[in-house]
Amino acid sequence: MTEAPVVAAPEPERAPRRRRGGSRVLAIVLVATIAVGAYLWLTTVRWQRTATEWETKAHGYADEVASLRLQLDGANAELKAARDQLSTATSRITDLANEKAQLGDENVASQQYLDYQTQVSAAAATVASALGQCVSGQEQLVGYLKEADQYEPADLARYEREVNALCADAEDANEALQRELRQ
Amino acid sequence: MRWSARSRAVLAGLVLTGTLGGCGVLPPLPDPVPGDIVPSTPVDLSPAAGGDALSPDGFDAVERMAVRIRNVGCEELSTGSGFAIDEHTLITNKHVVADSKDLEVSTYDGHDITVGATSTAGLADLAVVRTTDPLPSHPELAQADPERGDPVTVVGYPAGGELTVTEGEVMGTTRDPLNANLGEVLLTDAPVEPGSSGSAALDDQGRVIGVVYAKTADDNSLLVPLSTLQDMLADDTAFTPAKGC
Repeated sequence: MTEAPVVAAPEPERAPRRRRGGSRVLAIVLVATIAVGAYLWLTTVRWQRTATEWETKAHGYADEVASLRLQLDGANAELKAARDQLSTATSRITDLANEKAQLGDENVASQQYLDYQTQVSAAAATVASALGQCVSGQEQLVGYLKEADQYEPADLARYEREVNALCADAEDANEALQRELRQ
Repeated sequence: MRWSARSRAVLAGLVLTGTLGGCGVLPPLPDPVPGDIVPSTPVDLSPAAGGDALSPDGFDAVERMAVRIRNVGCEELSTGSGFAIDEHTLITNKHVVADSKDLEVSTYDGHDITVGATSTAGLADLAVVRTTDPLPSHPELAQADPERGDPVTVVGYPAGGELTVTEGEVMGTTRDPLNANLGEVLLTDAPVEPGSSGSAALDDQGRVIGVVYAKTADDNSLLVPLSTLQDMLADDTAFTPAKGC
């Protein structure tokens, strides 16, 4: 048996396959690069647009903040003025309430004094009347004594006791009134 | 032939890794800008300074519940203080309403309050005055008697004058030097004057801790303690109708 000689694969056939493989890889890399580039371009455009919108919005809010700050300053100034006015008003109300209370006290005190004076006047009138009755009684007694022979001695003595009692009561009332007036 | 397949696998792996890795590195597309970014409810918005002092008419609650009492006696006139504990009930001292022909009550803003029945306690210098007109405001009672060192605020009409708020602190308890109250009374350094009798003594939360009834020789004030007030109010027989002059 004669062995057939081993024939190696022809070398020249490997080179074209490798080139083809390399080309495919390069094509894939190229496509991937283009895709990445397109994505980056799209991303950049979108971010630019978003940044512009945010900036516009930020300017809008900044303007609004400035306006609100101005309004807040004005409102705070008005609030401070209103609080000052409220404080003044409450102080005035407290003062007026106190003035009213003091006037009420004075009114009550005056009324009590007036009642007292009325009582004193009534007492003085009563004392004056009693003293007047005492004087009248004594005058009457003097008249009776001038004509004593025309009256019973017992009657004269009784009348004298009555007049003395009346005068004693009148003097007591007068002294009480004087003491009250001295207080 | 085997080497070539391995190379392609390596290359494919590299491309796949690069693609996936690149996707991770590449910036994402931006989210659309929202139309409104203002929150519907503000967070952590603190009230304006001084907002806690707001009231219906600019007066503090402690001022609104204080009343001035004018005791028109048969021969003399005296004034005292008091405070509301509900819409139609006032607390004051027994000696403020004693020997009275007429009681006249007015509020912080000068309004006159029509008075109904008056009753006084037998074992403490306390009195309850019912009103037919509603009272503007009334404080809460504290949970317990104050301790030594606790702050105290007294609201009343010293010397029958303006409504006045004075402050001090609780110095402790003592025996009643006037023997007007059963048990011990509170001693504070809050300034009071004749006319302050019946004033409410309040803690730092505006709750009643006692009733002013006297002043000591060294210018301290004596209070009927809250516990005595509560005991008296809880006892139906503690108060009897006041006798006029």
